[in-house]
Parts: sequence; C-alpha cells; structure tokens
Amino acid sequence: MPETNTLEFIIFSILTLFMLGGIIAMLTNKQTVFSAFGFLVAMIGLAGMFALLDNRFLAIAQIMVSVGAVVVLSMLTILTINAQEESLPDEPYKYLWLIGTTLLVLPFTALLYKVLKTLPDYFVGLETINTKVVGELLFSDWVLPFEIVSILLLTAMMGAIIIAKKQKKGENS
Amino acid sequence: MSPDPFFLLVAIIFSLGLVGVVSRKNLFIVYMSIELMLSSINLLLATLSKVIGDASGSVMALLIIAVIAAEAALFLAIIIHLYNTKKTLSSDDFTDLREVN
Repeated sequence: MPETNTLEFIIFSILTLFMLGGIIAMLTNKQTVFSAFGFLVAMIGLAGMFALLDNRFLAIAQIMVSVGAVVVLSMLTILTINAQEESLPDEPYKYLWLIGTTLLVLPFTALLYKVLKTLPDYFVGLETINTKVVGELLFSDWVLPFEIVSILLLTAMMGAIIIAKKQKKGENS
Repeated sequence: MSPDPFFLLVAIIFSLGLVGVVSRKNLFIVYMSIELMLSSINLLLATLSKVIGDASGSVMALLIIAVIAAEAALFLAIIIHLYNTKKTLSSDDFTDLREVN
C-alpha cells in the first residue's frame, strides 16, 4: 500500500472517531446544550471528511453553513429557551431505548452498506472540486434547482417569522 | 484509499440519526438527528461524485446544504412556538392532533 493511502486512512480514522464520539455524546446527553456541542463536533468532522475527499468547496460550505449558521442558531435557541430540569422530558429508560433501537436498526445498516458496496470500489482520478468547477455546473446544468432553492429559503424565512412571533390575545393559533 | 470506508460511515451515521429520532423525546435532539441524517446523505453524494468522476454530486450536496439551513430555521421556529404554548420540550406532551379519545 502506498504511503499516501496509509496517511489518508489514518486521517479518516481520526475524523471517524471524532464524528462517532460527537454523535454518541449528542444522543446520550440529557442536557440539550451538551448535545448541541456533540453535534458541533460531528459537523466539523464531516467538513474534514469533505476536505479528505478533495472537495474544497463543500468543506468550506459545510463549515460556513452547518457549523457557522445551523449549530450556532440551535445553541442560541437552546440558550434563549433556557429550559429548566422540569421542562426537559423524563426518560428513565433512555439507555435501554437507545440500545434497543440500535439493535433494531442494525440490519438496516448492514443492508445499506451491502447496497452501497455494489458501487465501484475505486476513485476515478478527478481534479479537485473547487469553486470554479462547482460554479460552472451550478450556473449551467443546475440553474433551475438553484432558483428553486432561493425561493425555498425565502419561504422558509417568512414561515419562521410567522410561526415564531408572539400571538396576540384572542387570536387563536 | 477506496470509497468503502466512506460508505460504511454513511450507513452508520444515517442509522445513528434514525436511532436518535426514534428513541429520544427531547425535541432538540430529534431535530439534530434529522440534520444528521441529511448530512450523511451529503457525505454520500460527495463520495459518489468522486467515484463517478462528475462534480454534479457536489452541486447536489450544496443544494441539500441550503435545504438544511431552511429546515433549521423552520424547525427552531416551531420548537420556540411549541415551548411557548406548553412550556415543555418533551415530544410526548404534544398530542393536540391525536383524535379525541
């Protein structure tokens, strides 16, 4: 095995450990803020995976949107709500549920992996996917989905404002 | 490096997201698990774009990132609304749409 492959695999293993640790912390913590921290670690690990796949643009987009916007927004919401112990759900059998569901989902995981393994087992030598490549594709073949996404973002913004605003007395939901 | 470990990781992350949606009651953790499932699809698309040798997969992943952002805004607004109405974060307490029994 060439040396670069070994190095790549070591980086992949470290990132995988990071991601799985973050996800497990997210799933098991009772306090929501610590769950959000686990989610943050998982998202940063995912950005590292994109970088490992030589996909620079997606790595930066992941850092900027998922880490910089989504996770920070979740943390702000969690801290604004400031839920006390009594408003958190009561989950006495949390670990039992988690382990049971994991055992139930395990066959599905195996099936998914089996299906994905039928794909080619090698990477095609492709140039680095940087902003130029993505931009050219985005504004030639993918113009319509791009426009639809912009409308979706606008609609989501309006919906979020309307849903989250305080309701006046006498106005039923 | 072969794409196999990436496929295994995608399967594991997607399943862990599914586990989170099913087994936890905290609305925030349900939300983060859904994000996690979407992100695993992103990783799959990025891997496939390198397996096939076409950057279209990355463009699709970029569009999914935009969908994730929109979903985050809406989901958090809904959580704030639900918390303001019932002062709880447990998904068990929101049964208004269940038929009257």
